[in-house]
Amino acid sequence: MRGALLFFAAAGLAPLVVSDAFLLDSLVLMLVWGCAAGAWNIAGGYAGQISLGHSAFFGLGAYAAALCGVRWNISPWYGVAIGAVLATGAGAVIGFLSNRLRGPYFVIATIAVSQVLLIGASRWRGFTAGSEGIPVPFRPGFWTLGIADKRLWIWIVLALALMVYLVQVYLERSRRGFQLAAVREDEDAALSLGVAARRLKVVAIAVSAAFTAVCGALWAQYVGFVDPLYVFSVDLSIRFALAAILGGLGSALGPFLGAVLVTTLETWLRAEFGGLGSHLVGLYLILYGIALIVIVRYAPQGLVGWLRRT
Amino acid sequence: MAAPDVSLLRIRGVTKRFGGITANRGITFDVEAGELVGIIGPNGAGKSTLFECISGFYAPDEGEVELDGARLIGLSPDRVCRRGIARTFQKLRPFQGMTVAENVMVGALTRTRVVKQAREQAHEWLRRVGLAEKAHAHARTLSTGQRKRLELARALATAPRVLLLDEVTGGVDQRSIPGLVELVRELHRGGLTLLVIEHNMRVVTAVAQRIIALHMGEVIADGAPDVVARDRKVVEAYLGQAYVG
Amino acid sequence: MSAPAQLALQDLDVAYGDMQVLWGAQLTVAAGEIVALLGPNGAGKSTLVNTISGLLRPRAGSISFEGRRIDGTPAYRRAADGIAHVLERRRLFPFLTVHDNVVLGAHNPRARPHREETLARLQTLLPLLKSRGGQLAHTLSGGEQQMVAIARGLMAQPKLLMIDEPFLGLAPRMVAQIGELVRRIRDEQGISVLFIEQNVELSLKLADRGVVLESGRTVLSGSSAELLRSAEVKRIFLGDFAL
Repeated sequence: MRGALLFFAAAGLAPLVVSDAFLLDSLVLMLVWGCAAGAWNIAGGYAGQISLGHSAFFGLGAYAAALCGVRWNISPWYGVAIGAVLATGAGAVIGFLSNRLRGPYFVIATIAVSQVLLIGASRWRGFTAGSEGIPVPFRPGFWTLGIADKRLWIWIVLALALMVYLVQVYLERSRRGFQLAAVREDEDAALSLGVAARRLKVVAIAVSAAFTAVCGALWAQYVGFVDPLYVFSVDLSIRFALAAILGGLGSALGPFLGAVLVTTLETWLRAEFGGLGSHLVGLYLILYGIALIVIVRYAPQGLVGWLRRT
Repeated sequence: MAAPDVSLLRIRGVTKRFGGITANRGITFDVEAGELVGIIGPNGAGKSTLFECISGFYAPDEGEVELDGARLIGLSPDRVCRRGIARTFQKLRPFQGMTVAENVMVGALTRTRVVKQAREQAHEWLRRVGLAEKAHAHARTLSTGQRKRLELARALATAPRVLLLDEVTGGVDQRSIPGLVELVRELHRGGLTLLVIEHNMRVVTAVAQRIIALHMGEVIADGAPDVVARDRKVVEAYLGQAYVG
Repeated sequence: MSAPAQLALQDLDVAYGDMQVLWGAQLTVAAGEIVALLGPNGAGKSTLVNTISGLLRPRAGSISFEGRRIDGTPAYRRAADGIAHVLERRRLFPFLTVHDNVVLGAHNPRARPHREETLARLQTLLPLLKSRGGQLAHTLSGGEQQMVAIARGLMAQPKLLMIDEPFLGLAPRMVAQIGELVRRIRDEQGISVLFIEQNVELSLKLADRGVVLESGRTVLSGSSAELLRSAEVKRIFLGDFAL
């Protein structure tokens, strides 16, 4: 709890103290990835449904926001809402799958869903401008999410981060949270105790999806470009899961700490090995893998667990 | 509200097949409120399958299960629990990542929405099964006998009308068995209706007022312990013709 | 007057994690004996046999085979020592042929050089090994699979053959055939047999001696004649009311 206070206070105060654009930009990204990882954690950490297809929701949010601006000329905030609704629907589908498939089969199915959306977005030129992606128009103003000031962005994303954090805390303390934890541990035993396991899983995944979509929508507006091969990529899905796992699966602050770690790692790698170009892709996956092995072996509770012990 | 002449739990013609094997065939019996019925039978007789059918984990191919006159067939296990049937498992399944008290709270939260109340109820149940000092220990640190008590407390926290116990003394060392048996008796004296699967004949005959014997998926005897233990079909099922008479 | 035990278990304690299953269990098998291991469910019969073949390690106690302690020996070496274990529910390799399944039984270094001749001998004992040699194991009936599983055990050229529930799920005619096979194995090749079985009467009619386990302890041991119709056996299985 105190750690969270520290983290969010630091993030909230940073814009007032830091003026370097690069650092502020990094902070925005860390918070966005933190939110996405936290959203993933709702399904993966708290409900025990490990999905590697969350980019499906992220992409839906990103596209919804971009298309609102480009196609329909309405505020991207509507995109945030539409993306959330669509993602909730997609989440319900994946939730349905989670009640039919177990373990690795479920994971593969989630990957499939995100890739179907990737292919759809890349091919549907008439609607989504195809694989070229959509440049998001920058129209200055809060309502159009055309915000140049990175500090404002930090506070907007921070507001989302707080929401995601509090939802996770709710899951730790509430009745539903207890029941979800039971489902995660042993679904049959939970059923025998009267826990509506199936319904809970679907709801958790749907909520997780909605939040992920909001992240995607905000990210699209911030970065200014939506590329289907990126927003629906398996890479992105892995990043959400990885940040949550490295930070501490099933802990509320963990995903944010994990996102800081992952973002820092990536930024450093890009700085050090930027000249390698296409080789970079393979390299950070290798480093991800190593980090995962180290964490699972020495600190299975992630950074949060390690910090608690020291 | 049940009419006084309707049994609490009615099992009618329950049949369950798995491929070519008929695990339960036409199982029929009634259980009155407050009864403690022992279910015995050689390996493969269909006892656990019967529990799975009653608790909603399997849907029987034929037959009816009624609690207080209401049909249970077709309900998912969690709904069967909320109607009032709780069960334990033969292979212990504690929630390993939670403390003992939290395990029991999961059961209590089926009956109350308030976490604080659930916590209090959990502590109360732990006291009744004799695990009060272990409330804050992690479930995985418990011994087998203690885990059995935890499973009991957890199931009891759902405030069941009928409790299905599957091999509650299985794997428990000899010294702990009398304590567990006494606990089951106490719960029964408190008014709980129990169905108990047991292999340990000494336990079952000491605790049950009535025994139902299964063999090859069918009921072959149903009555008082001394009568069933001497029933020809039961003796033959367990030991063979040579031991009859 | 008793022959020295070929297999002797003393004061065996075996546990799965913190769940103790066997408490000071005892068992002996003399060379060339057929012994039935009986007891109510959950008594620890399979655990006992799994400990003899090395699938489990005892916490305390000793296992001696032909005078030598074997409780420290790894499982695969016990096969070479002369103990063969036919597992519950046969456990043949379902997608290998009957021939391949059987031949794999002679894997241990003592039996491997004689593989062909052992196979030939078994084929006369069990003609189906030849006639069904090319069939995939999972296509056989339960009884046929049981025979193949026993043949596989015999390929190891054991001195002691242990079978976990040889009659499980078999029709009466098959049961008689398997029983006959077991007797022939002992009579013709002098191999001792220890088997676990649910059906008490059936077991005692086949075996020379019976050992009864209850809740992980050896509670009764005696010749088949003594145990058959014994009131004590009744009490163990059906409680005090049975008498």
